[in-house]
Amino acid sequence: MAAPQVHHLFHAPIADHSFSSDRQTLAVARENNVELYQSSGNKFTLSDELKGHEKTVTSVDIAPNSGRIVTCSQDRNAYVWEQTPSGWKPTLVLLRINRAATFVRWSPSEQKFAVGSGARVIAVCYFEEENDWWISKHLKKPIRSTITTLAWHPNSVLLAAGSTDSHARVFSSFIKGIDTRPEPSAWGERLPFNTICGEYLNDSAGWIQGVSFSPSGNALAFTGHDSSVTVVYPSAPEQPPRAMLNISTRLLPLNSLIWNGENEIIAAGHDCEPFRFRGDESGWQLAGSLENKDGDGAGGAREESALNMFRQMDLKGQAQSNTKLKSTHQNTVNAVRVFQENDGQVSSFSTSGVDGRVVIWST
Amino acid sequence: MSQSLRPYLQCCRSSLTAALAISNFASQTSERHNVPEIEAKSSPELILNPITISRNEHEKLYSGLTCYPDIEPSVNSVRISLSIKQADEIEKVLVHKFTRFLQQRAESFFILRRKPVKGYDISFLVTNYHTEHLLKHQLVEFIITFMEEVDKEVSEMKLFVRIPC
Amino acid sequence: MSQINYRTINIDQLDPEASVNFPMETLLPATLPQPGTSSDAANVATQVRQLLRGGDAEGALRAVLDTAPLGGDEGAKQVHLATVTEVLQGIRQGEMTRVLEGVCAGEGGAERADCLMKYIYKGMSSPAPGSGAQSPRNKSVSPQSTGGFSQIQGRNLGEGGGGQQMSVLLNWHEKLVEIAGTGSIVRVMTDRRTV
Repeated sequence: MAAPQVHHLFHAPIADHSFSSDRQTLAVARENNVELYQSSGNKFTLSDELKGHEKTVTSVDIAPNSGRIVTCSQDRNAYVWEQTPSGWKPTLVLLRINRAATFVRWSPSEQKFAVGSGARVIAVCYFEEENDWWISKHLKKPIRSTITTLAWHPNSVLLAAGSTDSHARVFSSFIKGIDTRPEPSAWGERLPFNTICGEYLNDSAGWIQGVSFSPSGNALAFTGHDSSVTVVYPSAPEQPPRAMLNISTRLLPLNSLIWNGENEIIAAGHDCEPFRFRGDESGWQLAGSLENKDGDGAGGAREESALNMFRQMDLKGQAQSNTKLKSTHQNTVNAVRVFQENDGQVSSFSTSGVDGRVVIWST
Repeated sequence: MSQSLRPYLQCCRSSLTAALAISNFASQTSERHNVPEIEAKSSPELILNPITISRNEHEKLYSGLTCYPDIEPSVNSVRISLSIKQADEIEKVLVHKFTRFLQQRAESFFILRRKPVKGYDISFLVTNYHTEHLLKHQLVEFIITFMEEVDKEVSEMKLFVRIPC
Repeated sequence: MSQINYRTINIDQLDPEASVNFPMETLLPATLPQPGTSSDAANVATQVRQLLRGGDAEGALRAVLDTAPLGGDEGAKQVHLATVTEVLQGIRQGEMTRVLEGVCAGEGGAERADCLMKYIYKGMSSPAPGSGAQSPRNKSVSPQSTGGFSQIQGRNLGEGGGGQQMSVLLNWHEKLVEIAGTGSIVRVMTDRRTV
């Protein structure tokens, strides 16, 4: 396993990151702006800034084919950014929400994107030619709390959402005139807008932090704040799932996850390192960390912190100079994204975290 | 660290580590606000079950144990409140003076709350801002060290008080 | 009516859709067992005590954790807490690791570990029995456990009871964290099925 590629961009939290399809451009959400980095050699250098949001940007996504960037922020707005000869031009999206926008993802068809929000709705947005505007339709029922995470099914109609009401749900976001009628699947046959195709709750509750469909779309995985990963295999429309497997771990909560093929999940979170889960319908288990702990942790300078100041005050001066964690990330990992894949098999993936690092790992 | 205190501090350490898994979370009740949910208490689902370590009547009998933390976790903030042992009047006065001294300088301590939660002597409020800008494991160590030191501090002051002029 | 100060009314509380009125019962899984009563819990306590007396510490702990009244009323929960504390105190320090490994293994082992963690925290937060008036702990636990050092002996020191119970729970906590990890503590906080 090759050593992970560490890009320490700055000393501030990265809420979310996204690579362009050619892997040359990296967009990261830093405070109220989104920064664009260009790959040069084996480094990423700052090339552009997308300014416009007034509060913390919570999520960013680059559409792989069109290259459009969508961002959303706690100021309740989302923008679609398009590259013009005079630079990146934002278009405001008519979200019609009155609380923070928390999460945004392009659908695989790139005709739509979904924005999760603290207003207990998911805004499914699409472009209306007549008015030359991105408008939205709301998925409302039965969401009872802030939407924390979203994931699209490969058919661009089904949408998985996790919420702080501890439920992971699968909705239909079918929009007439935009979507083609999807093939019937185990999730449902007729799928009008706002059909609830599944609603799942862990025994030990916990806010849902990450959701993801398997590459085939026939299984759903989600992580909760109860330090667990749950995999759901649906059986048929309106039926209870064929299997709902909960893997409760001894780790701290995991924030984000991706599938690698149908039998492997990679997740990372408050433990600052990615973990691998393996299994199938008969059972799943934690297979271990992807971190190679033998060598030194993160390269680069020692992090200076205000806690050094606290230590000065410590009369004892206890000789615990462990300011550096053993893991590559030095703080919570917020996002795990596929970096390079072929037919659902992930050969490398990227993580970003509160420590301002983007790390590219090979599986 | 004395041997008898070790399991107790270990327990506090792992409980704090578990509670400090917090993230940036905007308010879902007030528009364009981002407030510590544990203080706002506006959405019950965003607040987790509180954890209390040793708050029994005979606490003082557990050798060396002098600080009793209460941990209230939520989605973006954790409140940690301590009761400090006060065996007699002098200790009561000293603890009061000591905590008052610290609380008046709360901004230099980042995580110190200006007022303790009702029923406690001193409280910390750790928000996602703190876990983002400070190192989390060091934050935990700081609170543990504080718990270890505060008792020594009070005992020392008590000794000074008793020295005849 | 004229006494009401309308300026101080929190109108959010009157709106069923407001966040402050989040339906907490929706966080409980459908598989929650039927509420038990304190007499059910007392029956369990008798059975568990028998197991403990028979020297089957692992079986006793397993049984008491499997029968936790997650959906029960406050009375049942109190009685059950006393039973769990009794079992924990009845197990010698040297045996703790072995018993724990046994209890946390096999079918439902992870749930038992989480359940034990809940009881340890609950035990630490509630006032120690033995100091107050009525105490289930004062009943003799196991007359046979005279061989070797048993933690129960601490009870005989009378006033030292509270601290003694605390130190037993702390020892269990440490051992359990070694086996079930911090994840188990996180689940104590997230799980709305309290014990």
